[in-house]
Amino acid sequence: MPAENPFQDPLRFERRVPPCAVVIFGANGDLTKRKLLPALYRLAYDRRLAPGFAIIGTSRTALSDDDFRTRMKEAVSAFSEDTKLDEDVWRAFAEGLHYVAGDLGDVGLFQRISEKLAHLDETHQTGGNVLFYLSTQPSQYALAAQGIGAAGLQRGAGWRRLVVEKPFGHDLASARELSDRLHEVFAETDVYRIDHYLGKETVQNILAFRFGNGIFEPLWNRRYINHVEITAAESIGVEGRGAYYQEAGALADMIQNHLLQVMATIAMEPSASFHATSVRDERSKLLRSMKPMSPEEIRQNAVAGQYGPARIGGEDVPGFRQEPGVSPGSTTDTYAAVTLFVENWRWAGVPFYVRTGKRLPKRVTEIAIHFNQAPLAMFDGETADGTPNLLIVRIQPEEGISLKFLSKRPGAGMKLRPVSMDFNYGSSFGERSPSAYETLLLDALLGDATLYTRQDMVEASWAVVEPIQNAWRADGFDFPNYAAGTWGPAAADAMLARRGHEWRKP
Amino acid sequence: MEETVMPATPPEKILKELADLWVSTSKEGAAEAAQGVLRACTMTLIVMAEDGEDPVGLGETIAALMPEHPARTIVVRLTGAGGPALRQRVFAQCWMPFGQRRQICCEQVEITCSDASLRDVPSVVLPLEVPDLAVILWCRSPRLLDMAEFRTLAAMARRVVVDSEGLADAPSALNRLAGELANGMVLGDLAWTRLTRWRQALAQIFEDPRNASSLSGEARIVVSGAGAVTTRALYMASWMADAVVAVGASASVQIRTRAPRTFAELACGDFQARLERHDGHLVSTVNGVSQCTLLPKPDDYLLLREELGIVQRDLVFEKTLASAAQFSYATVE
Repeated sequence: MPAENPFQDPLRFERRVPPCAVVIFGANGDLTKRKLLPALYRLAYDRRLAPGFAIIGTSRTALSDDDFRTRMKEAVSAFSEDTKLDEDVWRAFAEGLHYVAGDLGDVGLFQRISEKLAHLDETHQTGGNVLFYLSTQPSQYALAAQGIGAAGLQRGAGWRRLVVEKPFGHDLASARELSDRLHEVFAETDVYRIDHYLGKETVQNILAFRFGNGIFEPLWNRRYINHVEITAAESIGVEGRGAYYQEAGALADMIQNHLLQVMATIAMEPSASFHATSVRDERSKLLRSMKPMSPEEIRQNAVAGQYGPARIGGEDVPGFRQEPGVSPGSTTDTYAAVTLFVENWRWAGVPFYVRTGKRLPKRVTEIAIHFNQAPLAMFDGETADGTPNLLIVRIQPEEGISLKFLSKRPGAGMKLRPVSMDFNYGSSFGERSPSAYETLLLDALLGDATLYTRQDMVEASWAVVEPIQNAWRADGFDFPNYAAGTWGPAAADAMLARRGHEWRKP
Repeated sequence: MEETVMPATPPEKILKELADLWVSTSKEGAAEAAQGVLRACTMTLIVMAEDGEDPVGLGETIAALMPEHPARTIVVRLTGAGGPALRQRVFAQCWMPFGQRRQICCEQVEITCSDASLRDVPSVVLPLEVPDLAVILWCRSPRLLDMAEFRTLAAMARRVVVDSEGLADAPSALNRLAGELANGMVLGDLAWTRLTRWRQALAQIFEDPRNASSLSGEARIVVSGAGAVTTRALYMASWMADAVVAVGASASVQIRTRAPRTFAELACGDFQARLERHDGHLVSTVNGVSQCTLLPKPDDYLLLREELGIVQRDLVFEKTLASAAQFSYATVE
């Protein structure tokens, strides 16, 4: 048998997916309909999937294969943002869609899945390769994994992998507990913890920007960088997810996972290669370099917020406590800002300001890297202001990179003004960018875990975040402390002002 | 003493016009959108075309390419025996990305010349190349391949893209391209580009190790052309045969010209794979299991979009071209 496919042409062909089946637990849920099926259909549309690719959906709702296909077709039509449903492509894709109903606590469900997989291996030639995707309530992750293990489905003729959605626990202990339960069935190398932020093209582009160019890395340290801001702002409220959000909060929902992963990508050391283990080792090392703060440090370096009612654009907007499903006395943080320090030679003393919140003035996610001032003010008295260089990595909505620097204004005298040099991702590459779920599902099918979170990273993140949660609970809250449509509580501004900094208004 | 001929269109004049263009475009952009314009450029694209060609169609193709491959585009239009000695105009291709506030613009220079004045074109084009970026020559005119100036222009380019389907007699066209390749020209052929989706679908089939292990003994390859032996059919058959031979099997190849549909078939023992075009779709069937994907008609935009993404040597293409040029084992039916 040839070791390499003799028909491959890596210069022109997209990455290849081996024949396989995907088993989705929670196949009747929102995530499956809004994200997973549209992403898988798009991969089929783009010819990324192998002939005979099959999906087994499972949930408690009794459905036939045809019912499931009908529902999934509706979902793909409704939630594929930029992909037209092509009837012929759908027909071929739908032939691989199957459904098995049952309860995760029922041993018979896993037996039926096993039989279906064996049947598909024969009829669709899936090669015994199976990706299990847990799209259920987090409380059922361990139950599903145990069911897979009890039925022996974690082993087979091909590879077997498990994809888990966040949250990975609600604190350090529960994250470890979940991990232990998953590891009873799957080895860590076969567990893919999905963080859809890492699947975004621009987050991946941070690696290309830092390590594909020679000019930035020499500046990427405490000697030249003064401080870093990471902002993930949303203009919307909880949008019907009040009950869920009330249990999570901004710190746990955004900073513990997405933003610390983004920060790790910005601040990690160069990895020896672009292999999953190597890249993830460096991310993990960075996260472990962040020292957990004492309660006193937390009071100085972390700010919680919750939005109150306001009038925005002529409309009354409810406060968080007035949102449906939210307790009137809720102390959930809808805003969190934290000053973090990385204790290594590269970053010692450089503050990383990380903030996220709901009902902020606009939807924007970006990283702003503030460089030090020029060491000598040669043009003193004639400059427009003392603006230092600023590198902005915009993750959404207008993905790109901008460098701000000073330039002489035309005319007499040495008057400087800041100008911007922009790289616009969407316009420089007019090609459609794949959605984060397309990227990450494709990676999981290819066995590439580079963009997935490893357990040691999860634990390192909780080690930083959990003391903050505990300190906030102990100190109590005085909520609401910012009006909807503003840039968060005044305490967050004061937190930066203590070091002579201020938040950018993106 | 050698006579120095000054081109009728001095390059400095074009460069000055380009510089002025940015000043005026920026002013207009700033006035309209309060954000100015963004200049984008990743290469110099030289397009050689006949003046008789539909200028709107070519213009639309170039405009469509710019968002993905922003370039300083130099279109050289050949008027034949008559027409002006050398004439040029300079303009910008701008577009407003969806949901964004700033226009993106690329430069375009159009040079019109007679066959006789084509010899002046290289000296005009050379200073117009954008420094440090790749130069790609897209030769749309088969006639130009026979002119001496083609080689001068090709020598300026990192890569030359032609379309062998525009050349008469497929085997001799391939022989000729193989000769250019042997002389060091880095080539791309749109006839080969048209096969990418077909080749990718076939490669996907052999991702399954069970299918790959079926390739032993003698493989039977059948490729249908569309009523004639085309360079495309010869490429496909050669590429398939090369792959089969690479894993130690042997290949018998047949090219059919009278088949009602375009297809490619590979059979080896009990294993059978077939790719077939059907109403804008590509149906791949492996041992009775079929998969259907979209197969849009590969227009110039789609083909160039792929080719401009490749600025280095395409080793798979070069190997296939060499094989196809020596194609002696095909049976044409």
